[in-house]
Amino acid sequence: MAKKRGLNASVMTVIMLGIGLPLSFSLSVTLNLVICSLALIYLIYCRVSLKTTLLVLLAALPLAFGSWWSFLIFGTGDQWHSAWIYGSRVYAYLLLGMTVTMNCRVKDLLLSLHLHLKLPATFAYGLLAAFNLLARIRQQYHQIQASAMMRGQVYHLWQPGLYLRIIIIALNWSGDLAAAMTSQGFTEGAKRTISFVDPLPRWQWLLTAGLIISYCWAAFVIQPW
Amino acid sequence: MFVKGAIFLINQSKKIHWTLRDVIFLAIIAIFFGIIYQLWSYAYYALAATPLKPYANDLTLGVWIMAGPLAGVLLQKAGASVIGEMLAAAVEMLLFSSWGASTLLSGFIQGIGNELGFACTGYRNWDKLGLICSALGSTIITFIWDLFQSGYRQYSFSLLIGLFVIRLISIGFFAGVLVYWIKKMVFKTGLIR
Repeated sequence: MAKKRGLNASVMTVIMLGIGLPLSFSLSVTLNLVICSLALIYLIYCRVSLKTTLLVLLAALPLAFGSWWSFLIFGTGDQWHSAWIYGSRVYAYLLLGMTVTMNCRVKDLLLSLHLHLKLPATFAYGLLAAFNLLARIRQQYHQIQASAMMRGQVYHLWQPGLYLRIIIIALNWSGDLAAAMTSQGFTEGAKRTISFVDPLPRWQWLLTAGLIISYCWAAFVIQPW
Repeated sequence: MFVKGAIFLINQSKKIHWTLRDVIFLAIIAIFFGIIYQLWSYAYYALAATPLKPYANDLTLGVWIMAGPLAGVLLQKAGASVIGEMLAAAVEMLLFSSWGASTLLSGFIQGIGNELGFACTGYRNWDKLGLICSALGSTIITFIWDLFQSGYRQYSFSLLIGLFVIRLISIGFFAGVLVYWIKKMVFKTGLIR
């Protein structure tokens, strides 16, 4: 089934951070569940892959379970309440994040942030350039490990040699990419013409403000269980 | 040619503004870190699925914090730590994470902690002193953040002391000693001055 166009990527990012921040200070299981349900409904509305959604939710189960259990063992005060708050919070964060990451392609997100939230072009296009190298960077990581093994060495995560190799590659590639982009006409700080179309009707900003304000009001004034 | 190019990076970096090359450089490092975080998270998951999750958080936190101070000591300019850490967090959230929105928020808090450390030296010391301050800054700031975000304030005082010490050791090693070794190796190659 084809994906349905959801809210604008910039709006979703602001909602995610605008609710994510007060979420860190709220002490309500009910609100965590409300966030989870609304996010899930939104994901279903946008027709994201159900299989991927389920897999991601399953992968986070050990984290949520660990949080839940740790408060039963080490918690003070109302341990059951704490356990459910922090167990469900793992999922509230995860689902909030998924509303952005599962709906927007990296390119659309970066260009949308550039258009609507003033992310400088140098960052938007620079990040995009690096993201396009993702497959090569993965391959390179395996090559670094393989070439070390050919010399009878194994690079562990706590050895500086591994990071030195990474930095040298990053220096090399970033120089090549920046030079290639500049030679294709990218000029830092210059005004750009943009063919990318990303509609953002005003009602979406109103919805964003409404959601964030109602969440804060519910979390800090009503304070449900 | 390559050495010339690398030194060019640093000459550019001394300026306040961010060049395209700085951004791509940090983003590529951030993606490598994303891959490293993914490998590291297997170790984290093994512990985090048990009541020992707070220990897992604090024991492994240093690795998640490394990107910030590394960006700081390599680019040596104000804002590098917080932007480096944010980039690593953004890459992690977009590609690999099972923490969702909290990845970006934690990345920002961790970067601010490191940044405050370097700011304490007036952005003049990017060596041992700067790294010690940065490690202390991020330990304290992230611990305060976890009192709220991860519910640490519900734990007993003795557990909190233990967790703080473990966090300090983890951040001190990965985001302090290891970053210092890496910096020394990189500067020895002459690619960055």
